Amino acid sequence: MSNSLSENRYPYIKVKLSVNGRDYEVSVRPYERLIDVLRYKLGLTSVKEGCGRGECGACVVIMDGKLVPSCLVLAVRANNKKILTLEGLAPEGKLHAIQKAFLDVMSVQCGYCLPGVIIATKWLLDKNPSPADQEIKEVLSGQLCRCGSYLRFVKAVKLAVKYLKEGKVYFDIQELKGSPLRGG
Amino acid sequence: MVLIRDDVVRPKAVLDLWPLRKELAFIKREVDWVKIGALTTIEEICSSFLVRDYRYAGFPDMCGLFATPYIRSLATIGGNIGAAHPLSDATILLLTLDSEVKLVSIRGERWVKLDKLFLGKRRLAKDSSELITEVRFKEVPEKSSTALLKFDRRWGHSMGYVVAAAYAQIKDNVVREIRIAFDSMGRPFPERAKKTEEFLRGRRLSEDVIEGACTEVLPKEMKRISDYRASAEYRLELSKVLLRRALLRIKSRIRGG
Ligand SMILES: Cc1cc2nc3c(=O)[nH]c(=O)nc-3n(C[C@H](O)[C@H](O)[C@H](O)COP(=O)(O)OP(=O)(O)OC[C@H]3O[C@@H](n4cnc5c(N)ncnc54)[C@H](O)[C@@H]3O)c2cc1C
Ligand code: FES
Ligand code: FES
Repeated sequence: MSNSLSENRYPYIKVKLSVNGRDYEVSVRPYERLIDVLRYKLGLTSVKEGCGRGECGACVVIMDGKLVPSCLVLAVRANNKKILTLEGLAPEGKLHAIQKAFLDVMSVQCGYCLPGVIIATKWLLDKNPSPADQEIKEVLSGQLCRCGSYLRFVKAVKLAVKYLKEGKVYFDIQELKGSPLRGG
Repeated sequence: MVLIRDDVVRPKAVLDLWPLRKELAFIKREVDWVKIGALTTIEEICSSFLVRDYRYAGFPDMCGLFATPYIRSLATIGGNIGAAHPLSDATILLLTLDSEVKLVSIRGERWVKLDKLFLGKRRLAKDSSELITEVRFKEVPEKSSTALLKFDRRWGHSMGYVVAAAYAQIKDNVVREIRIAFDSMGRPFPERAKKTEEFLRGRRLSEDVIEGACTEVLPKEMKRISDYRASAEYRLELSKVLLRRALLRIKSRIRGG
């Protein structure tokens, strides 16, 4: 998109964003997409561009409580909004219950789709802490996974539900035994 | 956005309507009208009173089939109409409710019947300075209901091959009022199947009458196209099947109340 519109006759616009709890002020062109601001201006590379047209779900973020594809949102539209990406899910050194659950069931193959899947799961569980299988499937059906990990995603979401019900929200990365993150 | 990204269109300027949501995102009953602000999202419609009223059961049908949660949170009803696209699901349903659209510009405002709004694919009977601000329809009477059905390849996630919607009022098994709309009747935008409606109006909704409407009347007034997604024959066949199912669904919804 920026290729065809890159001439500088378009002015910069200041946009204030609160991303993962931190406030930012960025200058954007009117045609810039939220995904590009998150990835290239803020360095949040968990936000992936799979299709760039709202079909794959790799770029989804939570914006003021709504699940949105950042590839279809103009950056200016995100002005004064609160945004959550995968990077903001847990404090430094910790994993969120949803991340832990996805690791536990070994749902990750290449992992490209995972940030989107996890954010969509977070949005679902914020809305409904005990979703039925059908609801999990409906929400995740928008998240394309080329490796076909779909069945394990459903398993992972149910495990995350269990952790959260037990009050286990964050897990210390150092204490994850046998976790792929420790190579053990 | 997709059209800009793909370089299909290169607008000189883009107007972000989102800041108008304060005034134009609403869905309410007023006297005997249901009014929906143009910037109401599909997600908001899907959690409104419309999905809990058997007469408007076509809305939950539509919600379950409309793209994904993250598209429903951005897609507005005004955009669905403004897209002037054959596969705009919400628009097809609104046609069966005989909806009207409010157009506003600096010269004033006017109401246009939804079925008079489309001229071609992505072409509307309005000039570019006119904004769609509201769509409204008259509350429908008891003993009536709506349905929407869609055939697509990835369940609910893309635009369908064929979309059919209907509204009917049925009393003592006789069709008192009926409106049917498809994604296309021949021209590249959603339209009503008026001859089929006429055939059904006033008749008993028997198996023979439904059969006649679907296999004899509808194919005479509908012209389907072939493209890389489906052949004309297949689309026509699907249209007949969906119309039959829509009528049966409405019938059972009215019975269920
Ligand atoms: C992945 C994907 C899946 C989709 N699936 C479906 C589906 O299942 N069913 C379906 O019906 N649609 C689907 N769509 C199409 C689209 O999401 C809908 O048509 C949506 O309602 C458009 O709303 P919008 O607010 O995004 O409009 P935009 O895309 O922003 O606008 C569409 C057009 O309408 C004009 N417009 C918008 N608002 C107004 C207004 N208030 N007044 C005048 N003109 C206006 C715009 O200028 C533009 O020409 C899909 C789209 C994508 C990307
Ligand atoms: S990159 Fe946004 S939905 Fe695919
Ligand atoms: S794990 Fe590879 S795309 Fe999902």
